[in-house]
Amino acid sequence: MPAANVPSPRRSLLPLTARLALIVGFGGLLALLALSGLDALEVLAQIQGRNDAIRRDFVLRSRSLEQIRAMLYLSGTYVRDYLLEPDPGKAAAYRASLADTRRQIDAHLAAYGRLLRAEEREPFRVLRQELGAYWQSLDPVLGWGPRQRREQGYSFLRDQVFPRRTGMLKLADRIAAVDERQLDASAGRLAELFASSRRRLGLTLAATLALGLLLAAATIRRILHLEAQTATHLRDLAQARSEQKDLSARLVAAQENERRALARELHDAVGQSLSAVLMELRNLAAMLPPEPADLRMHAETIRRVVEGAVDQVRNMALTLRPSMLDDLGLVAALEWQARETGRRTGMLVHVAADRLPDDLPDEHRTCIFRVVQEALTNCARHSRARSVSVTLRHDAEGIHLAVRDDGQGFDGRREKGLGLLGIQERVANLQGSLQVKSEPGRGALLAVTLPPPAAGPAGGGAAAG
Amino acid sequence: MSGIRILVADDHTITRSGLRMLLERQPGFEVIGEAADGRQAIELARAARPDLVMLDIAMPNLNGIEAARQICAELPKTRVVILSMHSDEGYVLKALKAGARGYLLKDSTESDIIDAVRAVHAGKAYFSPEISRMLVEDYVRQLEHRGMDDSYELLTTREREMLQLLAEGKSNREIAAMLNLSVYTVETHRGNILQKLNLHSLPELILYAIRKGVIG
Repeated sequence: MPAANVPSPRRSLLPLTARLALIVGFGGLLALLALSGLDALEVLAQIQGRNDAIRRDFVLRSRSLEQIRAMLYLSGTYVRDYLLEPDPGKAAAYRASLADTRRQIDAHLAAYGRLLRAEEREPFRVLRQELGAYWQSLDPVLGWGPRQRREQGYSFLRDQVFPRRTGMLKLADRIAAVDERQLDASAGRLAELFASSRRRLGLTLAATLALGLLLAAATIRRILHLEAQTATHLRDLAQARSEQKDLSARLVAAQENERRALARELHDAVGQSLSAVLMELRNLAAMLPPEPADLRMHAETIRRVVEGAVDQVRNMALTLRPSMLDDLGLVAALEWQARETGRRTGMLVHVAADRLPDDLPDEHRTCIFRVVQEALTNCARHSRARSVSVTLRHDAEGIHLAVRDDGQGFDGRREKGLGLLGIQERVANLQGSLQVKSEPGRGALLAVTLPPPAAGPAGGGAAAG
Repeated sequence: MSGIRILVADDHTITRSGLRMLLERQPGFEVIGEAADGRQAIELARAARPDLVMLDIAMPNLNGIEAARQICAELPKTRVVILSMHSDEGYVLKALKAGARGYLLKDSTESDIIDAVRAVHAGKAYFSPEISRMLVEDYVRQLEHRGMDDSYELLTTREREMLQLLAEGKSNREIAAMLNLSVYTVETHRGNILQKLNLHSLPELILYAIRKGVIG
């Protein structure tokens, strides 16, 4: 904002700080919203990531354990089939399957060992130990012949293999239980993370809401204040405008009254005095002796000069304000003006007028007369018209005046002289409307409508002439 | 013919006395009173019943035209001449309508004033030469502009004859006698003339006659 526009320090400071406060407030509010939103998104992403990781980990573990359990169970089955199989060929195949199972179990155990958690270390160690002992106890049995297997096989199965296998399966269950507990614990931690994030989000939302409410209140207050200010300004403006209009109307009226007074004074006082002088000159001339001839000549000169002065005074008075307007009424004055214009300019001016109400207020008569005068002056100056018609109609809607010429016309939207502005002002003072229509080459029309004068005592009628 | 008894009305003392001197220099003219305003003029006219009243238009209390209207209405034998500074046709027509038959400008010459008194007293109309000239000029300009045919051409010879007599202030009876016609015929002719010329009253007819140069 340019410094020149700042009206005064006191008035400019207040809006400035208010504006700053608003900017900071709304900026803060938006920043708070953005931050809490970002935070929430971040936390959500975190929770989802961890959740996925935990689930993956759990699935991997339980699958490994499941494999180990299955293999263990299978190993027992192979041992049984081996021991109870009389055919040495098939027994050898079972033994090979058993060895394969052992390798697989070892591989799974090694894989699980890499995922091992602190809580699982103990049961896992025991599991490995038990397993070692299991394989060890099997080692001698694998070298048994068919007879020995048949004789001792079952008891070995019952006393060694199945109890060990059951024990190891239980160990695997323990580890699985630990895993499950771990899963629960992780879920709990996630829930905690979620809860704390929720608390944080709640707090920021509450803060945002509070700040927003505060800002809204401040903004509403400010807007109401500004509205009140604007309303005051508008009222002031309207008042100023109406005062201006009033002043303009009074100015026009004052000018008209002044002109009337001057014209009358000129006509009645100066003019009549000059007439009296003329009269006396005639008497003087009648009394003068025939000789010397100079004397008569001088008297004649004086008479001519005074006659000229009478004419001048008459014309000056008529120019200021034609006495017909007050003595004979509006229509007679318009007809006079038409004849005068015709005499001076050679245009044919035709007046057609309705009979106007006798109580037509003076302002209306004067306004119409001056409008016609100005319009005729314009026609004479610019239009090159041959003839002009002035029509004056009167109906319930008011008084309608139209001045139409057959001249060269003009672009009605562009040209607006000082005279037309004066007309506009006079018409506006009486709540009337003015219209100018013209196109180059098509003449011009000036139309004025004045609303019917308000009933009431107004200075009308013909004054003494 | 006996002397002409004249009442002079003007609010300017100098004009009044100057006019009185001017008129009284003429043999047979007698100024029987002076009024300073319209009301006084009516009162004096009622009391003295002058042959002719010279009235200024611009006078206090009652203007000359109103005074003329009342005097003409009350005293049909009294003629009225208006003596004014206003040269406009509007005033002339209004004066004629009020009953005046003479209209003089204040800067008229002495002989014009005297001619006016004699003419109006004799029942004719009289206007300052300047006014006659203006009326005629306006009329001619209008004719030139409109290029319309002169309505005067519509009148028959008899009607033209009567137009002049009417404008000069002759009554129907006088005209009937002069032209050896019946009063009824004269009235019919008069109606035709007004209709042909689109006129509505005797004052308008008088102005028309001046414009046409029939009288003046």
